[in-house]
Amino acid sequence: MSSPALTSAQAEAAQPRGLRAARPRGPRVPRGLPFIVPYLPFLIAFGIAPMLYALDLAVTNANGGVTGFHNFVRTFRDYRFVPAFEHILLYTSVWLGTLIVFVVGLALLLHGRANRVSATFRFLFYMPGALAGAASVLVWLFMLDPAVSPGSFLLRHVLGAQLFVQSIAPGHLPFVFAMIAFWTGAGGWIVVMYGALNTIPDELEEAARIDGAGPFTIALRLKLPLIRKWIAYMIILSFATGTQLFIEPQLVNEASLGLVPDTWSSNQLAYQLAFRYGDFNAAAAIAVDLLVIGLLAAVLIVTRTGLFRREG
Amino acid sequence: MALRTFKGSAPQWPWSRRLRRTMLTSLVAVGLAVAVGACSSGSSTSSASAGSASGKVGGSLTVWVDSVRLPVAQAYAKAHPNVHVHIVTFDGDANGATTLQAKIQLWNRTGKGWPDVIFSEQVNDPVWMAQKPFDFAEPVTGLIKQSVLSQWPAPSTAQCTINGTQYCVQDNLAQVVLWVNKKLMDKFGYTVPTTWQQWAALGQKVATQHPGYVIGTSGESFSHWIYFWGNQCPLEQLQGSQLLINTADAHCTEMASLLDPVIKDGTVPPLSVFTPDFAKKYGGADDKVLMMPGPSWYAQAVFQATLHIPAGQMTAAMPLQWANETPVTTGQVGGGPWIIARHSKNLATAADFVTWATTVFNPTGANARAGYPAYAPLASKWLASLATNPYFAADPTPALKAAASLIWKGWNLVTYPDQPVWSNTVVTALVAGKSLSSLLPAFGSALGQAAQAAGYQVTR
Repeated sequence: MSSPALTSAQAEAAQPRGLRAARPRGPRVPRGLPFIVPYLPFLIAFGIAPMLYALDLAVTNANGGVTGFHNFVRTFRDYRFVPAFEHILLYTSVWLGTLIVFVVGLALLLHGRANRVSATFRFLFYMPGALAGAASVLVWLFMLDPAVSPGSFLLRHVLGAQLFVQSIAPGHLPFVFAMIAFWTGAGGWIVVMYGALNTIPDELEEAARIDGAGPFTIALRLKLPLIRKWIAYMIILSFATGTQLFIEPQLVNEASLGLVPDTWSSNQLAYQLAFRYGDFNAAAAIAVDLLVIGLLAAVLIVTRTGLFRREG
Repeated sequence: MALRTFKGSAPQWPWSRRLRRTMLTSLVAVGLAVAVGACSSGSSTSSASAGSASGKVGGSLTVWVDSVRLPVAQAYAKAHPNVHVHIVTFDGDANGATTLQAKIQLWNRTGKGWPDVIFSEQVNDPVWMAQKPFDFAEPVTGLIKQSVLSQWPAPSTAQCTINGTQYCVQDNLAQVVLWVNKKLMDKFGYTVPTTWQQWAALGQKVATQHPGYVIGTSGESFSHWIYFWGNQCPLEQLQGSQLLINTADAHCTEMASLLDPVIKDGTVPPLSVFTPDFAKKYGGADDKVLMMPGPSWYAQAVFQATLHIPAGQMTAAMPLQWANETPVTTGQVGGGPWIIARHSKNLATAADFVTWATTVFNPTGANARAGYPAYAPLASKWLASLATNPYFAADPTPALKAAASLIWKGWNLVTYPDQPVWSNTVVTALVAGKSLSSLLPAFGSALGQAAQAAGYQVTR
């Protein structure tokens, strides 16, 4: 941990060293196995097997012949490939940025409040997320239409949109989708972060306060470093979700009668390649691209934040 | 992409009421909006069709239809108790939805599940259905008697003919005419234009004399089918193995220059008639639609059901002529086909169904077919009852009938959807204030890319 000396010293004080050191270190795998057995068949059937199938499709052609990287080169040269990944990159950065800042910020704010106030707000924040993905996009279609939106003055003044077609102008889209995704997903993460903050022992906070730390110092220098791993976890999951954006642009495409291209995101492009062109191999190649991007991001975050590092 | 399954003649769904109240008009595609006016099934003739070639009619039959064609399927089921009709409705979306492609790919991969008959709102669907990798459509020649097939107008048959074989029959014709609000035109003292030039000049006059009124729209996903198809702009013209896409052709640039001033002055706004914004600004009792070049099905689907323009105002005028060029040609938007699956185990019944739906089914009154029947003998009957329809300010049938044979033949149907290309390269930029003329090159290259991705060899 690279956090201030105060924090780590206190943290170690709270977890007596002897306790962990005394734990017998037997063979871990057999002991852990019963815990993951119920999950394992599902992981294999719905996670590993489709992934292997995609890998297989990505390096073969329609007749099953091995083609190496041909599908990857072919899809990369597709005129929709680069724009789709550009959209996704911009969208994911906007969304992840707001997600980290607001989720952590709001969770820290809530944690400092009295219990009842914070419970009310947690509930309020969670509410938009209770709508299932597609349904929330439908609600957002109304929100984005100045003719019917309760926030039409915002649309007029912030987006400069008098009409629905102006709300969803190409330049607005990454931000519009980021906003939709933020409001449907942030509530859940605020609850998770709040839970994470609750694991911080009271004594630590008390000790910090005695040492003269104000609420800001406590939030930024004590609580924030201690929930760093939860934040990393959120980033890994959200990064994968972000790069695999599908339902928002797909529904907006249909609602806007085609004003938004049906290959706006890379995942949509894969879908179109598979089902409009019957080119499952090219679609698999894009799916593998997304897998690699997600894995790279995960590895980077895991190694940088020490997500799986165990202290002691 | 929710599928609704109906068995036999299920109760009617109050689509129109729901649609009217909500923003769904913008959520569903053009096609569903078309449905609005014509969703209630009525009494229909129950005589059996005599047009299908020999074969035993009976057993079970699965048909996929859009909501407008639901009454046809239900009426067939009622009239044919010996056929167990399983009806599935789906979204016939033109704007990027891939329901049918996705389904057919999956059926092909699993080797089962194909329906016997599909109705598609997309006039170009048979083109890809008849080819690899879909290989879905069965030729109709041989299944339906030649004497019956010959009653479809030649351009319609040509659109169903892929590589020399006829794979479908069109349910309706969707010829573009000039829809006119006779009441408003009389009130303002305007005469109905006969050429595009007169139409555009009148638009500029309207912009100053009666601002707020419109003479058309440029924001439909199919606006280029109205303006550019009608004016012989080669945007999808098959020349042997090559596909010609030439937005620099004079027929294209002239039309764009003609439209630019009227798009700019707001009389041809880049808005779709199916958006709540349009209905709010230009629809209702004090409607602001002075004229609108559009397909035959606009009467019920747009003016009556979507914009709620009162009866006694609208009528159809002849398609607009380009200056003094002859012959006059017009565009087309729609003309949905019926396709029989080559995987069907009950081809005789499938053919009987398609024949019945296109040549027999013709309810009257409020339940009348929304579109101009493609089958000529049925069209005459349909026109006769339309002529006395009190909704129209004047008899629209002469213009509709004349336009049916004026559809320009230089526009070929292609496997890829070109309409979303217009929407996302042109309409979005028109909304942002760009001129149509400046967008034509980008539109052409976007169409070219879409065509190449679909496997066409493109000539620009």
